[in-house]
Amino acid sequence: MNRPAPPPRRLGLWLTILIGLGAMTAWSGISIGFSVSELVCNAAGGSRLLRESWPPDFAFLPRLIGPFLETVQIALIGTVVGAVIAIPVAVLAARPVSPNWLTWILDRNFMNILRTLPDLFWAMLFATAVGFGPLAGALALSVFSVAVISKLFSESVEAIDLNLTEAVRASGGSWLQMIGLGTLPQVWPQYAAYVLYAFELNVRGSMVLGLVGAGGIGMILETQRANFEYERVTMIVLAVLVVVLLIEQFSIAVRRRLT
Amino acid sequence: MSAHPLPARRWRPGFASWTTLIVGGLLLWSLWAIEASPERLARLPAQLAQVLGFFWPVDWQYGHTRVLPAIVESIQLAWIGTIIGAALSLPLAILGASTLFPWAAKVIKGISATIRAVPEILWALYLVPIVGLGPFAGALALGINSVGMLSKLGAEVVESADLAAMEAVEAAGGSRLAAIRLGLLPQVLPELMAHWLFRFELNLRASAVLGVVGAGGVGGLLLNTLRYRQFEMAAAVLVLTVLVVLAIDMVSGSVRRKLLRG
Repeated sequence: MNRPAPPPRRLGLWLTILIGLGAMTAWSGISIGFSVSELVCNAAGGSRLLRESWPPDFAFLPRLIGPFLETVQIALIGTVVGAVIAIPVAVLAARPVSPNWLTWILDRNFMNILRTLPDLFWAMLFATAVGFGPLAGALALSVFSVAVISKLFSESVEAIDLNLTEAVRASGGSWLQMIGLGTLPQVWPQYAAYVLYAFELNVRGSMVLGLVGAGGIGMILETQRANFEYERVTMIVLAVLVVVLLIEQFSIAVRRRLT
Repeated sequence: MSAHPLPARRWRPGFASWTTLIVGGLLLWSLWAIEASPERLARLPAQLAQVLGFFWPVDWQYGHTRVLPAIVESIQLAWIGTIIGAALSLPLAILGASTLFPWAAKVIKGISATIRAVPEILWALYLVPIVGLGPFAGALALGINSVGMLSKLGAEVVESADLAAMEAVEAAGGSRLAAIRLGLLPQVLPELMAHWLFRFELNLRASAVLGVVGAGGVGGLLLNTLRYRQFEMAAAVLVLTVLVVLAIDMVSGSVRRKLLRG
């Protein structure tokens, strides 16, 4: 019986990779003090905390409605403002339609740098600049949304059918007409899906903005945590869970219709 | 203009204008609710420009002595979080594939959706009192969220896998476990590893903020320097974070592309 030749085994390569990853893990684990024994030793403290945080304080729920509304409002402003700014940012960073090489490279790097900072960093920065409160949160999420949407959207724009843009150009259209008539109409459905996706991220993000003083439900969370009112903390976390899941389901349902 | 202009093509005008109207209305209502008056918004650019000026010159000394070690800690806890997530999510991804285990899949998907809905910083809120202030709590929080996301993405990868190879192993007398190991894993592992790396990039950003609740990493430094208005030190935190994250993104991104191309 003729057996097919076995695939080449690159054992050395895999071994090197495995040892490298193992070393990285061991080094990280040791430096951050990862220990299962500590986890077991602290189980008593942990169970006390869990007892204290259950049952959730349902009487606290009515006082959460206002802050939750604010949280969703922050997410909404952040998404809409970010979505509008993301259009030119994404178009200029899409190679086939970007007006010239310099704009493309500058905008591309701008997008990458924007994406490196997490939403809470922006929140801390804006809270310092414009004062504590929901406006700082809305600004932070606007920047964050630009980062998320423009990256995804520019990839969609790069994948468009270029015959249409050429058709606009060939019939004497300006660059703006090429974008407005030949480019964007092709990608609106994707754009809408990305905006909704950013809204989901923003709703989740806006829940914790208050930890750094940028408005929303997180502000209350922070004060209750500081006072060790863990029954109320649990109530807030459960409410966050429900709101996030509801908005996610809504968004997924709409996105499914779009595509 | 030609003599016979084509009739303007209309892109579902009803839908588009309704959406714009509703979103615009909600936007105005929200702006009113958070008291972002036009006057306040008009003052914004000047305010931002003024604060931006404080961030110069960057305090490199502080960057070297305090920020770099904190960033290293962020990387470490992102890494541990990813390893926890990858290790636990692998079996969950297989059990969560509706093509293989229809019943288990429903349960696992529900659990992972619940985990994902809670931001990692809230997990850290509970873990800090349990395991104490420090990066260990942060790593566990990231691990929990990573499991949630990776088992969902992993299950989708497994669902899209070609089941013929598994059937072939079983037809040749292999057990279910052998079918998974020989017929499934070789197909899906590269894509799974690409997701793990992507999660590492996300964890790196998330680990940066965990310091806000005392769970290690570089976030605590930014919070404190900004609180005490030490802008030049805060600038060091920002610049170094951007540079390190960019570098790691580039490396991780190129490895991911390699994995997906095979």
